Amino acid sequence: MYKLTICHLYPDLMCLYGDRGNIIALTKRCEWRNIDVETVSVSLNDDFDYKNYDIIFIGGGQDFEQTIIQDDLMRGKRQRIIEAVEEGKVFLGICGGFQLLGKYYKTQSGSEIECVGALDLWTNSSEKRLIGNLVIECDFLKTQTKDGYVVGFENHAGKTYLGEGVKPLGKVIKGFGNNGEDGFEGAVYKNTYGTYAHGSLLPKNPALTDHLITLALLNKYPEFQGLDPLVDNLENLARTTVIKRILAEKA
Amino acid sequence: MKDFLKRMRLMAAIVITKLAVIGLRLMNRGGTSLPGKIALKICPDILSQLSDRFRIIMITGTNGKTTTSRIAAGMLEKSGIKYIANKSGANLASGIATTLIEALSLTGKAMIRTALLETDEAAFKITAPKLKPEIVIVTNFFKDQLDRFGELYSTLGHVREGILGSPESTLILNADDSLCASLGQGVKNPVIYYGFADGVYPETDFSSNNDAPYCINCSARYSYSSVTFAHLGHFRCPRCGYERPEARIECTQVLSYDNLTSTVEVKTPAGKIAARLALPGLYNIYNALAATGLGHFLGLGVDDIKQVLEGFESGFGRMETINVMDKEIKMILVKNPTGFNQVLKYLLTQKNKCAVALALNDRLADGTDVSWIWDADLEILSVMKDRIRSFYVSGIRAEDMAVRLKYAGIEQELIKIEHDENRLIDQLLNDVTDNETVYILPTYTAMLEIRQVLKNRFKLKDFWK
Repeated sequence: MYKLTICHLYPDLMCLYGDRGNIIALTKRCEWRNIDVETVSVSLNDDFDYKNYDIIFIGGGQDFEQTIIQDDLMRGKRQRIIEAVEEGKVFLGICGGFQLLGKYYKTQSGSEIECVGALDLWTNSSEKRLIGNLVIECDFLKTQTKDGYVVGFENHAGKTYLGEGVKPLGKVIKGFGNNGEDGFEGAVYKNTYGTYAHGSLLPKNPALTDHLITLALLNKYPEFQGLDPLVDNLENLARTTVIKRILAEKA
Repeated sequence: MKDFLKRMRLMAAIVITKLAVIGLRLMNRGGTSLPGKIALKICPDILSQLSDRFRIIMITGTNGKTTTSRIAAGMLEKSGIKYIANKSGANLASGIATTLIEALSLTGKAMIRTALLETDEAAFKITAPKLKPEIVIVTNFFKDQLDRFGELYSTLGHVREGILGSPESTLILNADDSLCASLGQGVKNPVIYYGFADGVYPETDFSSNNDAPYCINCSARYSYSSVTFAHLGHFRCPRCGYERPEARIECTQVLSYDNLTSTVEVKTPAGKIAARLALPGLYNIYNALAATGLGHFLGLGVDDIKQVLEGFESGFGRMETINVMDKEIKMILVKNPTGFNQVLKYLLTQKNKCAVALALNDRLADGTDVSWIWDADLEILSVMKDRIRSFYVSGIRAEDMAVRLKYAGIEQELIKIEHDENRLIDQLLNDVTDNETVYILPTYTAMLEIRQVLKNRFKLKDFWK
């Protein structure tokens, strides 16, 4: 029997807008396939021994909470997060969790708050919050039967720009994406994925969820042959219903 | 000349607004916000101009505004004070303007001089400094509709700003909510705190404190000697010493607690009260305490306060019971994770079999971001699923709710999607037998839609009355 261990980083601080739904989706989709799952919470002052984990998740936080983790993150966990990303651990960062994997966050006043620097990207605070439904097209999820669309809801006050070292997660079909300017959303580097899409992201986008689970199983079990299919009628209905509605809205 | 023009604008706004209210009522529409919108267009500073004609009580906070307002209204009645109130959840500046203008004669004289105003948190920031309320009641702060306000701390900031603009107001604040209680720090306003005495409600689940586990002043993690629910309880910051303030109005015992009522002992400066609230749920005890704070302020005696608390019936839509032959429909508004969890825990106290419908909309008044359903513990429904005859989802985002139920552990074959409200009600009633209950848990605009159908079929009262 396969077993995966999920690490939820700062679940008491960085867990906004249904971020918890992502952990629920990963867990359930493993359990339904008889893959054993354990979730470990790692927060302030806890050791982050990434080698014990197969999937690492960090969600979004409000400004207040992000300032609380800043010290703990930069002193203690930063180097290990960089190592985990470089080693190809499956890592998902959403919203604030996405931003802090980058190099810095520049505030309104122009000062740069240093971030983890695991990904070649940076964020400038924006005057206007970028809020609304988000639909993107991800090439790596496209198959003969799947459109590769991912749907979520974005709500961020920062504009993120990608350097050459990372690729975007997808192309924006509707919404703002990273910065509302270049038409791209999120970032991918090795097995690390960052995005502004919550909603919750993973329950309604089962292809993406299964992609992450597959990568994690391949990391741990090189002989792994691929996931058994599940009946995803409800998930796909929810996904296509909301996508259809969003795309029908006026720009 | 300038003064004259100002007065003319005000008079014009009053007359036109009154006509609009009458017109909308004739067309059988609620008419609670639109007339006020017109008034604000004609006379933008109408609220400031009207403020000295009224004695104003404002109620704000994330959850429980409507129920608290309704109990507070009872306190006013008991004190013999005639009042007007924005009863139907028209709680933005426009709804407030409509309400105040309705209490004026055509010449602008206030016929009723006290206004009880439930106020949206963001609207409070702008309206409170203009209205100069005598009393401000704040219920609590939870994560709610974040897509509209950005962040919980901005919501708190809105209310704080409104209070800073109203330095004369007496504040009635929730002592157990570290965010709400912080509004009473460093201000000159008189403050009346309310809360639960330490350890009265022994909740062991400390993990559900996700909204505010860290000190608002210095960011250290609070320690708690007891928790009622979510982040409410006897908190103390080990670093800066900020702690749950002493409460003048305090629930000292929960004597009994079931799915219809709770009986509580409340300590007030005038003495102890043992009251049986015809309202279930821990959150409603908080609402009763907040309103008791107003009763205390108004100088009511313990017997009077007890009578108000016991005589209260549930507010519009928040929890509404409709009897259909020998079956019963209970509709309870859900709008954010904490409120949803309280309602789910309330369902757990239900012994009979029942049918459940969840109706999720994503209009502005519901919150356009539906991800909050993942922060609520829908898993509770799977624990009690042998008591639930059927699960329905409805509303614009019914499919999202269906996925939530599936991942909460309800088999997907059991989840039925029904967008049509009439058919939804038929099927729900069909699925239960006599003496059983149908629970409908809608978000705000879904509630209005379902209520319209229930109104047509079962002759409910109009909600603005």
